[in-house]
Amino acid sequence: MTRSITGANLRKAVASLIIAVIGIAAVIGGFGYGFIEDGRIAAGFLPVLVGGAMALFALLDVVGSFRTSEKESTLLETAQVEAVDTLEPAPERESDLDIYGRSSKQRDRMLLMVIGIMLATVLLVPVLGFIVAFALMLIVIAVVVERRRLLPSILVSAIALAAAYGIFVLFLRVPLPTGILGI
Amino acid sequence: MWENLMLGFSTALTFENLLWCFVGVLVGTVIGLMPGLGSTTGVAILIPLTLGMEPVTALIMLAGIYYGAQYGGTITSVLISTPGEAASVVTTLDGYQMARNGRAGAALAIAAIGSFIAAIISLALLMALAPPFAKFALNFGPVENLAIIILGLVTVVSFAGGSMRKGLMMAAAGLLISTVGVASGFSDARFTFGNVNLLGGIPFVEVMIGLFALGEVLHQIRVGAAAPIKARFKDMVISRKELFKSGPSIIRGSFIGFLLGCLPGAGSTLASFMSYGIEKRVSKNKDNFGKGAIEGVASPESANNAAANANFVPTLALGIPGGGTTAVLLGAFTIYGLQPGPLLFEQQPTLVWGLLVSFFIGNVMLLVLNLPLAPVFAQMLRIPYAYLYPIIVLTSLIGAYSVSNNMFSVWLVVIFGIVGFFMKELDLPIAPLVLGLVLGPLFEKSLVQTSALGQGNFGILFQSPISVTILILALLLAVGPTVIGKLRRTQGNKSKGLTHV
Repeated sequence: MTRSITGANLRKAVASLIIAVIGIAAVIGGFGYGFIEDGRIAAGFLPVLVGGAMALFALLDVVGSFRTSEKESTLLETAQVEAVDTLEPAPERESDLDIYGRSSKQRDRMLLMVIGIMLATVLLVPVLGFIVAFALMLIVIAVVVERRRLLPSILVSAIALAAAYGIFVLFLRVPLPTGILGI
Repeated sequence: MWENLMLGFSTALTFENLLWCFVGVLVGTVIGLMPGLGSTTGVAILIPLTLGMEPVTALIMLAGIYYGAQYGGTITSVLISTPGEAASVVTTLDGYQMARNGRAGAALAIAAIGSFIAAIISLALLMALAPPFAKFALNFGPVENLAIIILGLVTVVSFAGGSMRKGLMMAAAGLLISTVGVASGFSDARFTFGNVNLLGGIPFVEVMIGLFALGEVLHQIRVGAAAPIKARFKDMVISRKELFKSGPSIIRGSFIGFLLGCLPGAGSTLASFMSYGIEKRVSKNKDNFGKGAIEGVASPESANNAAANANFVPTLALGIPGGGTTAVLLGAFTIYGLQPGPLLFEQQPTLVWGLLVSFFIGNVMLLVLNLPLAPVFAQMLRIPYAYLYPIIVLTSLIGAYSVSNNMFSVWLVVIFGIVGFFMKELDLPIAPLVLGLVLGPLFEKSLVQTSALGQGNFGILFQSPISVTILILALLLAVGPTVIGKLRRTQGNKSKGLTHV
């Protein structure tokens, strides 16, 4: 029995395919380190074993994600079914808006912005130093992504950074990277 | 036993250990109720802070975060129907309904009381069972250890939820990640691609912080926030009748939780669902389940707390983590230079018994904190997530840097944070990956030793009665649920008068 291919199923199948490719690559790489030497397992044994298992289960998952007849359960799934099957469904949100009235599309955009800001922050650490780069990150996320007012955002960021500085630099003596400003 | 207890009390009752135990349970409660944070995340983020501490003090604090978060997770389950912890998911069913009926305080109170009673019962059992268990495990050789690791991996896959093949796929992925670098016993550097930072392997703490803290933050941004229901001080009063009614559920939940928590790899999530399912069958009040039955809160909350404590049986006695958080704690043990397992009870009695006794003290602290102060904690749900998550990102990345004073660690956290986000989006379970990563080196060591013993023949696994018993148990855990599920569906179809064509 097959079911119609939804976008979510397709995404999951593509992800499993990528995992299968990584598994196969691990098997190939693993054989390069040696599989069995002098009757004993060599450095490549575990990579071959787990890479193969990864590829096998990932490919089974690709096939299984388009089939319903091969339904299999885990212990937790069985317990979950047991617990909730006779209950009314839990209350769901009436729309995809969160409490701030943001739609899922807006939240997706925010997610991409946060990932971008995070990557930019880590890239800027060698130039600006850890503290300055992260101060900028906190303020930019609060003001630009979350559209919070500037003053409270600066205040919260300053308190968070001061606490982090106190704990990690003063108390734990972690030498955070400094930048062109010397901090 | 009494000598050990006295040793434990003398260790746990020092001013420093009491202070850090209090800090642990308090921070744990707060972490448990914050969206985007859970006990695993909390422990992972805070490991770097404990590196300068005595191992026993550090573990007392980290364990306090673990069971404190179980209490905190309940608050969000009841007030916003958003569990801070996976183990509190089932509490949302009746807890949130109770809150909607104006009984939020009673739900929180019974959860705190149930958790406390469960903690005391399970700790007494833990103290009684873990040492003989460890003594028995001293007879284990590489073959039995390999069987135990296989059992742990199978259980965690079954515990993780979702499909079995996804769990197995992720456990294999965790094991594969653990092979990066130079393994002990081999001279080859594997999968380092010429990067010297990878020679020592992919560090555990960074992966945990990335998967749990950063991955969850990114997931929460995408999911969006829900509005909390107010809990007031005067609602915290629970009637004697409600307390009496919940008593048997608490006791049942405690024992179910303990039994399941003892399985290596099984976690408190499974315990909470199973106890809820059983309670729904045996309770006199079964018609009210899902509509705000107090037993529907008391039972799973007792079970998840009992399981959290029972998780320490396999963790301490076998060195196989009971669940996701104990897997991270196991990583912490190795960072402090300790090897959990049967020898720990003999070699580190002060640490083991000090830690176990601190659980008692921590749970008393939690009851005292939670009964009157749950509404105060609930106010924290009003802190805008917009301010909270950038601070979680900062803490995660600065914490990762501090582990080895290296920007490479920061990059690893970012990479695994993005991986963790996609795993959540694609319903790929994280716990099996974590267990695979933690158990990888141990698994490989057992494989090498077993292969040497059997001169390349792994049939030796089936020559030891203990390993055969363990492997049969693993097989039952792997196949049993599918068989039960099929039987249930067949019965369901029959009762609906359907037949397969």
